[in-house]
Amino acid sequence: MLLDARDLHVEFHTRDGIAHAVNGVGYAVDAGQTLAVLGESGSGKSVTAQAVMGILDTPPGRITQGRILFRGRDLLTLKGEERRRIRGTEMAMIFQDALSALNPVMTVGDQLGEMFVVHRGMSRKDARARAVELMERVRIPAAAQRVRDYPHQFSGGMRQRIMIAMALALEPALIIADEPTTALDVTVQAQVMDLLADLQREYRMGLILITHDLGVVADVADRIAVMYAGRIVETAPVHDLYKAPAHPYTRGLLDSIPRLDHKGRQLYAIKGLPPNLTHIPPGCSFHPRCPMARDVCRTDEPPLYEVSETRGSACHFWRECLDG
Amino acid sequence: MAEPILEVSGLVKHYPLTRGVLFKKQIGAVKAVDGVDFTLAQGETLGIVGESGCGKSTVARLLCGLERPTAGTITFKGEDITRLSGKALKAVRRNIQMVFQDPYTSLNPRMTVGDIIGEPYDIHPEAAPKGDRRRRVQELLDVVGLDPEYINRYPHQFSGGQRQRIGIARGLALRPEIIVADEPVSALDVSIQAQVVNLLARLQTEFDLSYLFIAHDLSIVRHISDRVAVMYLGRIVETGRDSEIYDHPTHPYTQALLSAVPVPDPDAREHRERIILTGDVPSPADIPSGCRFRTRCWKAQERCVVEVPALAVPAAFRDAAGPAAHPSACHFAEEKQVVPPEESRLNGNGPG
Amino acid sequence: MPEQQPYEAGRAIAGTGMGGAMDLAASEATTLERTPGGPEGTGPAGKPRSLWSDAWRDLRRDPVFLVSALVILFLVFISVRPSAIASGNPLTCDLARAQDGSAPGHPFGYDGQGCDVYTRTVYGARTSVTVGVLATLGVSVFGSVLGGLAGYFGGLWDAVLSRITDIFFAIPVVLGGLVLLSVVTSNTVWPVIGFMVLLGWPQISRIARGSVITAKQNDYVQAARALGASDPRILLRHIAPNAVAPVIVVATIALGTYIALEATLSYLGVGLKPPSVSWGIDISAASPYIRNAPHALLWPSGALAVTVLAFIMLGDAVRDALDPKLR
Repeated sequence: MLLDARDLHVEFHTRDGIAHAVNGVGYAVDAGQTLAVLGESGSGKSVTAQAVMGILDTPPGRITQGRILFRGRDLLTLKGEERRRIRGTEMAMIFQDALSALNPVMTVGDQLGEMFVVHRGMSRKDARARAVELMERVRIPAAAQRVRDYPHQFSGGMRQRIMIAMALALEPALIIADEPTTALDVTVQAQVMDLLADLQREYRMGLILITHDLGVVADVADRIAVMYAGRIVETAPVHDLYKAPAHPYTRGLLDSIPRLDHKGRQLYAIKGLPPNLTHIPPGCSFHPRCPMARDVCRTDEPPLYEVSETRGSACHFWRECLDG
Repeated sequence: MAEPILEVSGLVKHYPLTRGVLFKKQIGAVKAVDGVDFTLAQGETLGIVGESGCGKSTVARLLCGLERPTAGTITFKGEDITRLSGKALKAVRRNIQMVFQDPYTSLNPRMTVGDIIGEPYDIHPEAAPKGDRRRRVQELLDVVGLDPEYINRYPHQFSGGQRQRIGIARGLALRPEIIVADEPVSALDVSIQAQVVNLLARLQTEFDLSYLFIAHDLSIVRHISDRVAVMYLGRIVETGRDSEIYDHPTHPYTQALLSAVPVPDPDAREHRERIILTGDVPSPADIPSGCRFRTRCWKAQERCVVEVPALAVPAAFRDAAGPAAHPSACHFAEEKQVVPPEESRLNGNGPG
Repeated sequence: MPEQQPYEAGRAIAGTGMGGAMDLAASEATTLERTPGGPEGTGPAGKPRSLWSDAWRDLRRDPVFLVSALVILFLVFISVRPSAIASGNPLTCDLARAQDGSAPGHPFGYDGQGCDVYTRTVYGARTSVTVGVLATLGVSVFGSVLGGLAGYFGGLWDAVLSRITDIFFAIPVVLGGLVLLSVVTSNTVWPVIGFMVLLGWPQISRIARGSVITAKQNDYVQAARALGASDPRILLRHIAPNAVAPVIVVATIALGTYIALEATLSYLGVGLKPPSVSWGIDISAASPYIRNAPHALLWPSGALAVTVLAFIMLGDAVRDALDPKLR
């Protein structure tokens, strides 16, 4: 396994008390594999990724438990300097908002080149040449001229490509993409996802794709982990999950999205709201919104049951759910 | 089709680009809306889709009187409202209300929910007698599915979905006939989106509302709309009933747009044809000559550079009365199915 | 996103990573569309929270605020009733005791004219507080009205006003005071206050303009406009309450600097003149004898420093409490 995160717990101290953002999350990615982490806001999907990447703001956040094994080494036991060296060279991150993730007063060429200067000790000139190469890699037209432009001179889609180029610069083994296309228009989103998938194949990278979009997941992911209230409620190969979800939350999500291919009458709506992370309901955290909830759900927290060798579901009644 | 309640004709909004502070000199114009026509019938929903910068939000702002059009008319029940001002404009505004995209910035954080929903009555005192307002506000809260007891709370005490309900209640307060909803669910989580979409659908039948539903999410637009207009760079490029647009698109932009939408079905990955457009949308300050889509179009020819295609039923389909015969602004319009036809899916029906 | 949602930032516990605010909530409507639980964020007590109540909650626990507020309350008290703690008359002096050190009943000693330093320091507070408060009020009213209107209506009015504020910013305050106030003969606080308002309003005007422009862009202003609300209504109901916080912060900090400015001008002889009582006058009068009678300089200077510091600290504390991004 390239990355194997186990039993991660993250909490935040807020004025309303301790928010339990991540409560025992574990997932694994292999080289060349795409894992989609699906969840709504507050599900803990981004916080988990930040913890893995080592960019969680501490405080207010705190990793209270867990292990993050990257190529067999536990990242959480590494010293600051070692951890920093792994970031960028062996694992990289792509953010949703490329404009705020790029430095507005540096040309994109300098920003891309800096990676080579700092981590590879290249000369400015060589670094510039590599920057142009990278920009061509991510299919930015007229890269040789545009290398001298500033981030604001690029469109949203082009900026996202530059972000991808930066992430790819040192050919990391793992890329974490946090909602990489959410801010983009659909036609541009298609271009960027296409590019990301091609590059991933080419470099055989592991990719963790964090998103709320069931459509994007279906398009690119191999495996999927669905998060709710800081826990993984279902994990499965992507085809299996869409064919027959084994958790009522996943089922509800799939049924609540309107379809492009036909006009539905009324959408299925999951009742209620996601829980307050300072007061997560006891038992199964989804039970107040679950149409299948029974007494046991209110008291016993379901473990991640093994549905098959490759699937897991944190629902006491996963069999029922699977049967529809 | 019923009598149109709203008729928009030749609508244009250009924002001048100027240089200089005291002595302004116009050096160009951002052509946000550049000649848009459509009608909206009583009780109907017209969906407007397009990518950012296509001018769909400007259309919404023009309809609600937040901007004055550069040219064109907006006829509400036979009266051109673009020339109105003062009392007459205020009276018309009662009938066209807006629901905003961002539930976090569209409610004044310093006002209670009761004050927010009741504000329309302060501005239009004739709409409700003073003593009756509190009761009406509570009724509205009830209608949008919120507890009437929340009347004294502040917006930040609510979640995004609940705030959007408050915004909808404010829009309904004056009993308008038309609601212009600008991306009303795009800021909400998937599970909350469905709740709000269902609410909007229910309110439409309950109050006999006509909707102009503006969104970039093609699936939601299909779900809620009777008719759909696709906008690109300030113009409508294709319009028709929802099945005409989604199942029988004839404009290449619509086809590209539809094929780019990720569908929640991993099996579609292999057998689905994707049209990946190259490049970005041109700047609305520098619109290409002829057909404005030609810079990204794989079919573009010499004719597209010189001749602006009109929004009309293309000649090829004029005689056939099929679903492909709907207005499409393309010289080389041809039907192409890009959305895979509906399949029997195991998860097609909800739990319970 | 959190930057655009200042009022949500208090709960956006992980910044961008959490996609802005985490929707912490109890439960919401369903297909039944009825909400059983309470709305979010109310805490166990269910007390409604607003920016001001949140700020007050923070302030009550902030030692900087508590200390500065105590100092200011005390200053206000002695400016209203100086005789409560000083029985003497600040103008009754005995040249025979000039520059004497502390004596029974005269803990701070005597100044160069033989006046009681303690009494004069206590009475001097009134001038300082009056000038500070009135100048700040005047500056805030003028500045916010002019800047607010410029920000709201924009256009030519805004362009002209911005150039005028630039001009005022270019005037050195002390030099301006020396020139303008030297022609004034009236020995009251009014010319000093008038001068401060004249030179001070552009600072507030800039702040007010900026925060009105920010508030103006919010959708709720558009919503009100779409309802047909009039300009005064939009300005007073929607923009002013949301734009006032930065003005309050800057005004509080400015209050301290106005007190210092009054002392400066009086020291230079263009502010208040004897027989008025002011810390600036006393500092000026005592400075020639600094070797012989340092106490006559020390006490009014110390009082001035503490007062100015108290207002600046108060402004700082208020800014921290009103800025949700710092939470």
